[in-house]
Amino acid sequence: MYKVILATRYLLKRRITYFAVLAVALCVFIVVVVMTVMTGLVNDFKDKNHSFAGDCVVGTESLVGFPYYEDFISSLAVRDFVEAVSPAIKSYALLTVRLRDLNIGVEIVGIDPIAHSRATGFAETLYYRKGDVSRAFVPSYDPNLLGCVLGIDIAMERDSRSEYPYEASPAEIAFSISCFPLTAKGALAKAGAGLVNTQTFYYSDASHSGLARVDGSTVYLQFEQAQLLCGMAGPVKRISAIHIKFKPDVKLQDGCEKVASLWQNFKRQTAGREQADLLDTVTVQSWKDHRRAFIAAMEKEQTMLIVMFGFVGITTVFIVFVVFYMIISHKTKDIGILKSIGASNADIVGLFSGFASLVGLLGACIGLLGGWVFLLKINRIESWLFEHFRFQLWDRTIFAIGDIPNRVDAGVLLAIAASAIAACLLGALVPTWQAAASRPVETLRAAQL
Amino acid sequence: MLKLFLWLRYLRKKRIVLLSIAAVALSVSLLIIVASLFSGFINAFEQSAVETIGDVVLLAPVKFAKYSQFIERLHQINAVDSATAAMSAQGLLHLGKGNVRAVNVWGIEPESRAKVTGLKQSLLKQKDSAGVPSFEVAGSPDKTGGFVGIGVLGEPDEKTDEYDIKAVEKMLGRPVVLTTGAMVEENNSSTDRQGGQFRRKTVEFTIADVVFTGVYDLDKKFVYLPIAYLQGVLYPDENEPVADQIQIKLKDGSRADSAAAQIRGLWQVFAAAELGWGEYHIRHTQIETAREMQSRYVAELRKQMGVLLLIFGVVSFSVVVLIFCIFYMIVSLKQKDIAILKSCGAASSSVACIFLGFGLCVGILGSGIGVLLGYIMTKNINTVEEWIRIIFGLKLWKSSVYMFSKIPNEVDWASALQIVMWAIMAAAIGTLIPAVVAAKVKPVEILRYE
Repeated sequence: MYKVILATRYLLKRRITYFAVLAVALCVFIVVVVMTVMTGLVNDFKDKNHSFAGDCVVGTESLVGFPYYEDFISSLAVRDFVEAVSPAIKSYALLTVRLRDLNIGVEIVGIDPIAHSRATGFAETLYYRKGDVSRAFVPSYDPNLLGCVLGIDIAMERDSRSEYPYEASPAEIAFSISCFPLTAKGALAKAGAGLVNTQTFYYSDASHSGLARVDGSTVYLQFEQAQLLCGMAGPVKRISAIHIKFKPDVKLQDGCEKVASLWQNFKRQTAGREQADLLDTVTVQSWKDHRRAFIAAMEKEQTMLIVMFGFVGITTVFIVFVVFYMIISHKTKDIGILKSIGASNADIVGLFSGFASLVGLLGACIGLLGGWVFLLKINRIESWLFEHFRFQLWDRTIFAIGDIPNRVDAGVLLAIAASAIAACLLGALVPTWQAAASRPVETLRAAQL
Repeated sequence: MLKLFLWLRYLRKKRIVLLSIAAVALSVSLLIIVASLFSGFINAFEQSAVETIGDVVLLAPVKFAKYSQFIERLHQINAVDSATAAMSAQGLLHLGKGNVRAVNVWGIEPESRAKVTGLKQSLLKQKDSAGVPSFEVAGSPDKTGGFVGIGVLGEPDEKTDEYDIKAVEKMLGRPVVLTTGAMVEENNSSTDRQGGQFRRKTVEFTIADVVFTGVYDLDKKFVYLPIAYLQGVLYPDENEPVADQIQIKLKDGSRADSAAAQIRGLWQVFAAAELGWGEYHIRHTQIETAREMQSRYVAELRKQMGVLLLIFGVVSFSVVVLIFCIFYMIVSLKQKDIAILKSCGAASSSVACIFLGFGLCVGILGSGIGVLLGYIMTKNINTVEEWIRIIFGLKLWKSSVYMFSKIPNEVDWASALQIVMWAIMAAAIGTLIPAVVAAKVKPVEILRYE
């Protein structure tokens, strides 16, 4: 009981302790704000990648694709752990705006919009056809034309509020899309006959996935049209990938393992058939592995920021050390009296460790509260700064970010608070041990009393 | 003299002061490293633009002829060192066996381009050869050669972020196919109406050399062909050589903005007189320095640097608190010394100056160590990154994410100086209150015999 009383007394009476509390609060505040924003950005990015890819992707990096996908999709669709399956064609193409000298390299993705919307979040990315994804490739101005869905950043420019200037209906714009059709061996299918396939498509919708690379370079086409363009519609049809969504109660790892096992069986059964060697290039990946190249970069940034704040947090440890060193230097008589009436070394350590924990807890609470309030208002603050000073933390015309993430994660808060308390305990460690090691006979000498 | 004696004594005897020096050093080094890395990245970004497209770029809204005449006139401007014409297009490149890439195609004159940019140093095969770079294919002078960016031919290794140069060199001499196109103006005879028609073109060329600039986006996207050949493919009906941009290198020491203004004036006269262009096309010709073209993105990078430095600066402000605590403790423990000094005739201001000066010493010493630490870390950052990769298997810096193959490692001395000034000021602020407390010590109270 006396430990609690003494710890509280030191906290209230020794004003120098307030500096330690202030330092802890300041560090916690900064870390909470930065880590919440960073974690929010990373999680948002991961969610968007998950929505883009589905749960699992069976696919190949090769632009030649792989055959006999219909058989595999049929076997997948009847499985009780599979919710939806969507085949996709992926390749590179040249997109030309008719009547304008605009010619850009894009990635074409050939899909069945209904199947793809069941397996991924495709429908949610559309604007004009969000409620009727079956008509995603049907231009509203002429249903007889072949439609295409452009990545939003190909179709229009984002303004400084991260908004796009959607018209009431899609403009009637024609695009020529040219592609190298490839044989199953990867050679040019139209060697000696023009080499490329070109088809005209009309703008039917825009897709806003929130992923900058995808929105700036992807064009979605009707599955059959893409298959024809890429030369994959021969006697043995080919595709590039199968996107799979699992049922809600299926764990990602388990689902992917089951799919991988099915794929291995399928490969064995298909061995020996024409073009079956193309199946060797196919991998089964969870969405995390499939999008690893993009997600890893952001996760690494987050890790580096944590490490940098770790170094900065060392300053907090120093401050706590100094404050406790000062307090204990002044309290040698108190400690001597406590020990002379029976307090053990462990009791003394317990007392000052408790005091350090109290400092850390108080500082953490103040920092967390301040951080939470700041995060609640962060978007309003940024809007105010933009209206009055044209200042944005991230220029929305350059960075594909909406509102600044400000959802506080309880786990992150707990981790930061625990780290703050641990830092205080670490800082107080040496002075506490010194206090415990002091001898009453030396500290209570008459000359010093 | 007394002050110096006391400073040195306190420094030696009061080991806790070393903690404040360490805290100042740590904060200063961290801020210097962050500022240097950011500044280095920004400078490398701007420099790479200059090395790729020259100091000043003229971008016309449409293709234009007689560019060689304009280049001759450009040489009459004192500031201009050399100039080269270029033509740009987008294309799809088939490298063989299912390997297709979307690329940016530039038609160039390698000889003049090597004077304007660092083209020769970027070529894998020809960088050490005598003479000017050329598109000639070894052993096949009749074939059309082209340069291909190293990133077009392959990706860097996942773990080491290095290209397999041997595998890339095997692709030299390989024939490849490029599909591209351009708008061609046509007269519609039935309606007697002029209009544009997009013409798709497919060409074959041989890889004569590989370009490795160290800038990921450039290496991944660019293919270079002879400008005359590209022009013949895209605009076969043109009688004269055409281009859509001029890239200009300025002489050392020239001011890019004033040179750009002179070039603008020259272009206005040339376009009106020689090309017969109207006001619209002349006004829509972009003539900018390479740095101006990147200015928006660079401004955003500088903003991010400022925000990060502010965050670390605010946290490092706790160093002020640390110094305050330490000096307050020293003053509390040294009250008898201070009282003796005052009773020997030292003025209050003198006593205050002792501690203020000591605080400044701590700041200067800590900053000095911090600058040294920051310098060593910044200069060896690539080695540190390599060691982290070897020990932890973690590749922190990838060219596909951060654009450059190597982390820029030049110390930003301007920022370092500012950081040091702030650190010394922070140390002085931290000792202010303890110095005032020391100055207010009354000898008659402290030296009382109890």
